[in-house]
Amino acid sequence: MDALMTQLEALLADNSIFTLQTLSYYTEGLTVTVQLVFLSLLIGLVLAVPLAIGRSSKRGWIKWPIFAYTYVFRGTPLLIQLYLIYYGVVFVDGIQETWLWVILEDPFMPALIAFTLNTAAYTTEIFRGAIKSTPKGEIEAARAYGMSTNLMLRRVVLPSAFRRALPAYGNEVIFMLHASAIASVVTIMDLTGAARFVYARFYAPFEAFLFVAAIYLCLTFAILYFFRYLEKKLLAHLQPMS
Amino acid sequence: MAATPIPLEVRNITKRFGDTEVLKGLSLQAHKGDVITLIGASGSGKSTFLRCMNLLEQPNEGDLIVHGEEIRFKTTKHGREPADWRQVVNMRAKLSMVFQSFNLWAHMTLLENIIEAPIHVLKKPKAEAVEHAHALLERVGLSHRANAYPAQMSGGQQQRGAIARALAMDPEVMLFDEPTSALDPELVGDVLKVMRDLADEGRTMVVVTHEMSFARDVSSQVIYLHEGRVEEAGRPTEVLENPQSPRLKQFLAPNY
Amino acid sequence: MIDLHGYGPRLLEGAGVTLSLALLSLLVAILLGLLTATAKMSRSWVAHRTATLYTTIIRGVPDLVLMMLLFFGGQIGVNIFTDWLYYQFDIDIFININEFVAGVVTIGLIFGAYMGETFRGAFMAVEHGQIEAGKAYGMSNALVFRRIRFPQMMRHALPGLSNNWMVLLKTTALVSVIGLSDMVRIAAEASKATREPFTFMITVALIYLLIASASEWFFARLQKRYDIGYGEAD
Repeated sequence: MDALMTQLEALLADNSIFTLQTLSYYTEGLTVTVQLVFLSLLIGLVLAVPLAIGRSSKRGWIKWPIFAYTYVFRGTPLLIQLYLIYYGVVFVDGIQETWLWVILEDPFMPALIAFTLNTAAYTTEIFRGAIKSTPKGEIEAARAYGMSTNLMLRRVVLPSAFRRALPAYGNEVIFMLHASAIASVVTIMDLTGAARFVYARFYAPFEAFLFVAAIYLCLTFAILYFFRYLEKKLLAHLQPMS
Repeated sequence: MAATPIPLEVRNITKRFGDTEVLKGLSLQAHKGDVITLIGASGSGKSTFLRCMNLLEQPNEGDLIVHGEEIRFKTTKHGREPADWRQVVNMRAKLSMVFQSFNLWAHMTLLENIIEAPIHVLKKPKAEAVEHAHALLERVGLSHRANAYPAQMSGGQQQRGAIARALAMDPEVMLFDEPTSALDPELVGDVLKVMRDLADEGRTMVVVTHEMSFARDVSSQVIYLHEGRVEEAGRPTEVLENPQSPRLKQFLAPNY
Repeated sequence: MIDLHGYGPRLLEGAGVTLSLALLSLLVAILLGLLTATAKMSRSWVAHRTATLYTTIIRGVPDLVLMMLLFFGGQIGVNIFTDWLYYQFDIDIFININEFVAGVVTIGLIFGAYMGETFRGAFMAVEHGQIEAGKAYGMSNALVFRRIRFPQMMRHALPGLSNNWMVLLKTTALVSVIGLSDMVRIAAEASKATREPFTFMITVALIYLLIASASEWFFARLQKRYDIGYGEAD
């Protein structure tokens, strides 16, 4: 490990921008980006499942409020949602005196809330589409075999809908990774925040942004291949015999 | 009432889609070991009638008695529907259906398809369900395909698998909705053979089919439907070999 | 009515910036998209590879990072070029990269990649027999493209096009970060000055929803027009 570090140091010796110091900004930024994206996706996913079921419901008072939520959050820029929550929290009178402030003082929390609500809205619609496209015959078979609606949802509709939603959800994950770059706007030191910092400090836009672009590209490919692998594993049953 | 209740009895079923009345008061009694075939031109209502028997379609009028238990209905603003869905769920578990388009669950292997309802609806222990499933797969000649997914099997294999899935419920009555209509001609024979074996061992079956040879050789009763009414019914020898109604004569003509 | 504390006219101006930015970017994106689709379908190895590289990079990097790279980097690039002109040829000019142009170019460049995919799929969906019939009647390649392939392709491309437009519209919000006074930036300034973020952010959100709904209506009408002849026989 030490040998590696000395080598790295030697490599960076003639370089005025990519010092160990700036690289550490990027690493910390990477951690923040991954945390932010992973957490918002995870919570968003958990929220989206019941929302998608509700959105597919025949009852108007369940269906329409969920539709309104997804319409608004999918129809407006994420940046506005972020500003709304970030400034909203900062400017609410008296919030600084409550225990909530401990959590909300760090811009990470407002960003996480905005990202979560946003991805939950998109994921809800993705799942709804997948639930809607469940083959009618499979539902009839479940009913004909005496399954209750709950059992049918749990054993037939959802497992098959999740698999069908996989490609679209993979795109949503990549979309969230890219969208997370705006976290830097509210002073979060994520990957893009690190790049902006390095740019401002050395006035070196190419180095700062090309390097971070390369990192995002690698992350995107990693996600892409992960989902391809998942699809291959989980969607094998939909492929006819060769 | 007899000592052993009749497995399936329907009385005076009427069904309307909008203003069109597709079933105009149909009745049927399936005693133990009966094989009843429903024949008729497309649009005669035979599939709808079958689907009313396990309430995949809600009849507008009529009674349904499964194993001596009458299904209760109530009238809501959406029309008539079962009063107690749990009763329907229990009833459906006693009647298992084989569909025209197989309707195997695409995300499960054949074996998983077969054990699904026994485990989760009948609450059977898994080991027992698996053992039973293997025996059934052997019967329908699909032991080697237990771990295949539906998309990886031919239509004939899927339909035999679907029959195994139906048998796994130990049903009182098996309902077949044109089980061979979606199959290539060379695959029909295997499926019909499995169905003949089931009839021979005394299963109670209601079959909607276009296969006249099956109706003639296997069934105990043939019902010919025309425009939602029973036009002619009786033993296959009477109905198929000596048809009375001119419509039935015409319907049977291409087969002779 | 909502009290906008006198920011109403400026917000409206910002909305104008957003809308013109979006429409101009759309134009650039459509042209680039058609070019990319043609390159991807061409037999030329270089054209194919270039187009693939372009779409891969654009789709793998966040919009904001690309925007900053082009905006901040673009200025330095231009400066290097003008310096070179000065030393070599004694030509003294100064070009200042305008935020609006940078915005149009970046958003156009980003969505050109997405449009390329949309158009490629749509071109491939046109039945080959339609094109053959055109050729059989003596139409030139250009004429076949203009009279047969393009109108038929549009029918398949419209859903993707409309989808890309909706995403593009929302992406314009990012230009506020590089200093362009679109409605998001003005709303952010107003929020800070008046300490009433809800008033301004919700107003802007409503304007976005309004534009989106109007676009939906417009695209539905357009789709109807291109669907002529494909309706079910009655």
